[in-house]
Amino acid sequence: MNRPAPPPRRLGLWLTILIGLGAMTAWSGISIGFSVSELVCNAAGGSRLLRESWPPDFAFLPRLIGPFLETVQIALIGTVVGAVIAIPVAVLAARPVSPNWLTWILDRNFMNILRTLPDLFWAMLFATAVGFGPLAGALALSVFSVAVISKLFSESVEAIDLNLTEAVRASGGSWLQMIGLGTLPQVWPQYAAYVLYAFELNVRGSMVLGLVGAGGIGMILETQRANFEYERVTMIVLAVLVVVLLIEQFSIAVRRRLT
Amino acid sequence: MSATAASNDVMIRFRGAGVTYPNGVVGLQDVSLDIRQGEFVVIVGSSGAGKSTFLRTINGLTPLSTGTVEVSGQPVPRRQGRDLRQLRARIGMVFQDFRLVRRVSVLNNVLIGRVARVAGWRSVLNLWPRADVELAFSALERVGIVDKAYTRAGELSGGQQQRVGIARALAQEPEVILADEPVASLDPVTCHQVMEDLLRINRELGITTLVNLHFLDLARRYGQRIIGLQQGRLVFDGAGRDVTDADFQRIYGRRPEEDDFLQEAST
Ligand SMILES: Nc1ncnc2c1ncn2[C@@H]1O[C@H](COP(=O)(O)OP(=O)(O)O)[C@@H](O)[C@H]1O
Ligand SMILES: [Mg+2]
Repeated sequence: MNRPAPPPRRLGLWLTILIGLGAMTAWSGISIGFSVSELVCNAAGGSRLLRESWPPDFAFLPRLIGPFLETVQIALIGTVVGAVIAIPVAVLAARPVSPNWLTWILDRNFMNILRTLPDLFWAMLFATAVGFGPLAGALALSVFSVAVISKLFSESVEAIDLNLTEAVRASGGSWLQMIGLGTLPQVWPQYAAYVLYAFELNVRGSMVLGLVGAGGIGMILETQRANFEYERVTMIVLAVLVVVLLIEQFSIAVRRRLT
Repeated sequence: MSATAASNDVMIRFRGAGVTYPNGVVGLQDVSLDIRQGEFVVIVGSSGAGKSTFLRTINGLTPLSTGTVEVSGQPVPRRQGRDLRQLRARIGMVFQDFRLVRRVSVLNNVLIGRVARVAGWRSVLNLWPRADVELAFSALERVGIVDKAYTRAGELSGGQQQRVGIARALAQEPEVILADEPVASLDPVTCHQVMEDLLRINRELGITTLVNLHFLDLARRYGQRIIGLQQGRLVFDGAGRDVTDADFQRIYGRRPEEDDFLQEAST
């Protein structure tokens, strides 16, 4: 048998993509006033900042425990509330098990809207309702968690073995029972993995929301920065790094065992 | 003849029953017959003959396009809803591919047979009433695998999984059991064990049982009555022991081949 000729290399296509990307980046850089010379001039100021930021102020560490707890608590509340709401949202948006076409369309669009808007937006929205603080942060992260979990989870639900749902219906089961007994038991491991993933994102999100007043470690970081306490800022950044890495490693380890 | 049986003891009645699928394929055509209470009926026919379609019209998984099917005098509802669910509660179904939730315990799979009798929220939250759990256990005892009650269904062998499938149907306390090629995924020995189980249950509990089979020797051995389908039409209806190779040839539209038997030696 003859070996087939190799498929043509589409050099031209790749070149076009590369040039296109380059041009777009250059255009964007010019538009936002990015300039290399400015970067070099400011490097001096940057290095002074770095010198003032070292060594980290370890004496400040004990005072970080409370805010860290608050950050994690905000993330936890957001994750739990979001995870619960995400179940029906995901199921109704999974076409093969969604009860009807209208529900499916409405829920799909609802999910898209949730996902399009960033957590910071939700934080601002809830802040106007309940005031800046941990509650607004937790509410914002709840919405964010619904968005993240329902998107991933509804894809898992769409991939289930539908024959099992038919077995429940053949026994005289209702829609609720078809979901609860024939559908969800197939996808709990994935669900748990997505919830953990959302928790990881929420810990980071909770810090960012702290910067704008939602409390926790983000808020401490912001106040110390505003007071030019750079050695404390370094301490906070290091501690954040360790905590985020720990939570991520924990989450990855659990997720690996789940799936 | 069974078709002329006294109407008070008719369990399932087909009259001019036909199914045309939305894509235009005819799955069943003008089938009229009666199945008496307590009968053990085997349906044979080549692949695509309409065996599954025939069974699924009885519990409304596949709606009829023409004609009627009645189960103990009540027409199978055409629309989804309470009436259909209540009818299905009285009809157990056993599938070729078992259809168990593999990650879940054998007991919880069998409890699915109780869905129609238990409040939705209780079943979904796994708060099954004691009496229903008791029923599930006795169903498992009847098929001889009660020791596996707390094992994950996916960890069982094929034969054991099909027993769980039968137990789930039994847990419904059904009047009818529909088994759609229940032994097609099993090895010959297990095949006979599962068929024996179905036959024993039919005798002990008097549950009207319909089994789709594609092996002719199994059909002849277990089918007290054999119904032959070809291209959606009823082409044979008679006693299992009387069925001849010529009849099978008529049902299959061709001479029976090796593949049509579970064990060549047995014919
Ligand atoms: N859901 C469906 N949609 C369209 N055609 C179908 C469907 N199910 C079965 N059929 C067709 O109907 C005919 C009978 O199928 P089936 O009842 O499954 O036969 P059997 O169980 O004897 O193999 C076949 O031609 C099959 O392709
Ligand atoms: Mg079939």
